Amino acid sequence: MNLYDMIVKKIKDIQGADDGPVTNLSTTSMLTAEITLIASVLVALIMLRQVSTVLMIVAVLVVLVVFLTSMPIMSRLKKEQNDSLSSMMFYVIIAMTVVIALFYWGNLNV
Amino acid sequence: MNLLIPLMVIVPILCALFLNLLHKKDRAIKTVTIILALALPALPLLANYGLHYFGGYEPLLQNPTLANNLPSFITGGALATFHPAITYSFQSAQQLFVFILGLVGLLALFTSVYETRRPSGVYAYMLFMGVAAMTAIILTDDIFNLYVFFEIAALATVGIVLVSNIKGNYETALKYMILGSVASPLLLLGIALLLGVTGNVNVTDIIYSIKTGAVDPQNPVLLLACGLIVFGWLYGSGLPPFHTIKSAIYSKALPSGSAMIQAFSVFTFIALGIIILRIFSYLPFSQWVILGVSLLAMILGITMAILQTDIKRMIGFLAVGELGYIGIGLGLGTTFGITAGLFQAVNEVIITALLFIGFGVVVYQTGISNTRKLGGLMVRNPWVALLVLLGGFAMAGVPPLNAFQSKLMLIQASIDAGFPELGIIMILLSIVTFMTFMKAFHTVYLRPKPADLEIKTETIPKATVISLVVLLVVCIIFGLFPQYVTSYLQPLATSLAGGVV
Amino acid sequence: MIDVQLGSLFTAVALIVIGIFATAFLDNLIKKIIGLAFIGDGANLFLIAMGYKPGGIVYIYLPGMAADWFAQNAAYPLPFALVLTSIVIGASTMAVMLGIIIVLYKKHGSLSASKILGE
Repeated sequence: MNLYDMIVKKIKDIQGADDGPVTNLSTTSMLTAEITLIASVLVALIMLRQVSTVLMIVAVLVVLVVFLTSMPIMSRLKKEQNDSLSSMMFYVIIAMTVVIALFYWGNLNV
Repeated sequence: MNLLIPLMVIVPILCALFLNLLHKKDRAIKTVTIILALALPALPLLANYGLHYFGGYEPLLQNPTLANNLPSFITGGALATFHPAITYSFQSAQQLFVFILGLVGLLALFTSVYETRRPSGVYAYMLFMGVAAMTAIILTDDIFNLYVFFEIAALATVGIVLVSNIKGNYETALKYMILGSVASPLLLLGIALLLGVTGNVNVTDIIYSIKTGAVDPQNPVLLLACGLIVFGWLYGSGLPPFHTIKSAIYSKALPSGSAMIQAFSVFTFIALGIIILRIFSYLPFSQWVILGVSLLAMILGITMAILQTDIKRMIGFLAVGELGYIGIGLGLGTTFGITAGLFQAVNEVIITALLFIGFGVVVYQTGISNTRKLGGLMVRNPWVALLVLLGGFAMAGVPPLNAFQSKLMLIQASIDAGFPELGIIMILLSIVTFMTFMKAFHTVYLRPKPADLEIKTETIPKATVISLVVLLVVCIIFGLFPQYVTSYLQPLATSLAGGVV
Repeated sequence: MIDVQLGSLFTAVALIVIGIFATAFLDNLIKKIIGLAFIGDGANLFLIAMGYKPGGIVYIYLPGMAADWFAQNAAYPLPFALVLTSIVIGASTMAVMLGIIIVLYKKHGSLSASKILGE
């Protein structure tokens, strides 16, 4: 089997049979989303060089290894960002605590 | 006293109430809506720049007749500079924003009376109230007044979704209101903390208190207030974690309604973002948070957009992603960056309205928005396909259209500020936006028509085509003459970046 | 004895926490709406408590009062105006939400949030 068929098979295993047929279009979209996500996050991490260069190198390597080992991230990310009220409330409460904690305590050290 | 400034808010409210009374009289609604909607872009062009003091008088320092009768501990100290009224400030940037909002409102109303079977007075009411609320949010200098109109805009958004008769709209509207009723009281709590610490709700007076040291700038209560107001800002503009519900709202409204709702989101983003920058920019942390949230919005929005199979949700997620570009401009903090961000916002409103109305034609003709079932519509409407294609080019940043100019300015600003990584990410995501749009265009227009696709209505109303052409002409004009537009935005950007009130 | 203003602020925060808990964890839609009402009430109580002045008088300027004595002793009148507006906004939002729930109940036949809003 060539590489393309292996990728399609893997995507089919992850998505299951619920979404209908896995067309060329959806495979391309999934691959593009995956590559875009990994590339954007890694480039954004390079901005850490303003804080300290060592931290940036460590962060980039760690995130790269994590991404490569758990490769089909985009399908999990898509399933997480669904429309159900409970998952939206969960993320809202997490975001609220993160924002308030960051502002209240983060400003003491910056 | 410049009377046209409050009229910019009052006239749409009166039009809304009048059209609600006329509900069910079809001929009357059509003509009256179009005539009244012409006032929306016309009023900001006629008004003069200045301040308007709503429900009060100007500060005592400028009002010697009133100050004569008062004791000296009021007229002698800082109290004399405080604003006792709700202050509306109308300068060049606000004129541009209210004009663009009015233009999109006019075209949305124009499209909606011709696209629905029976023109609805209630729907026109919702659109007009939304425009009135957003005008007040752009003009106001008083943070509690902003909160009141913010809630009115949220109710108008929910009304637009409820009227649309799309499957699942009531559930989405209820989810939006539940999340909103968690986030808005927290915004009110932030405003209450600001009131408690500084004793004012007028933004100019709050900045005065913080700058002159009457209030300790590192007071932890102020920091908590900043966090809560930023959280309310995330809800109002549809940034993560509220991006999924915002794009669901875009998909459950009629196309003209979606065009208005995305305009509401962008202008709430700018108005509240400007106030956060004005009050809290002395905290270096606030700029990092704005940059971080915008980056997250860009990445999550655009990666989710590629994976969608429903065209309206795809454009909805793209709209959320484009908000991130505006945030990066505001977060950079330099004059050039803020000007670029505000210019991107103006372009964003126009382009997304064009795409929603353009792809809405497809939904109007076939009744379905699932890309798996569409195809081959290029043969039927080649002109609309061309207009939508140009709109998509505009969104991705193809020269000489408007988003190219603003994205180029953003990338230059981020390189000048010392963050070339942001420029790289912006270019990468623009390429992916282009790919997403071409995917949508291909599945709707270019590929062969599936056998079971039935066209419900043959003719497209001329009003829709006229709206698309007007929006495209504005895109081209802003793309060819960007200095004309940025000259309106420059004074506001200079005052924000310089840290002056 | 705890100070009136501090007690009000603690009560307001407690109301907000209880409201967020109710909205997030309870399944019945009406109970979620009651939780949202708690959050709104907590925010309003916090806002009005900002206007407290120990030993302050009501901010109505009666004839015969000296202007500077009034200015020194009156409680802060601004939060009262803000809270009135906020209560009205909260009431109208609640009304719209309950109206939507009536329509959803007729459609689905139950008030369980996981069934109606869950997918």
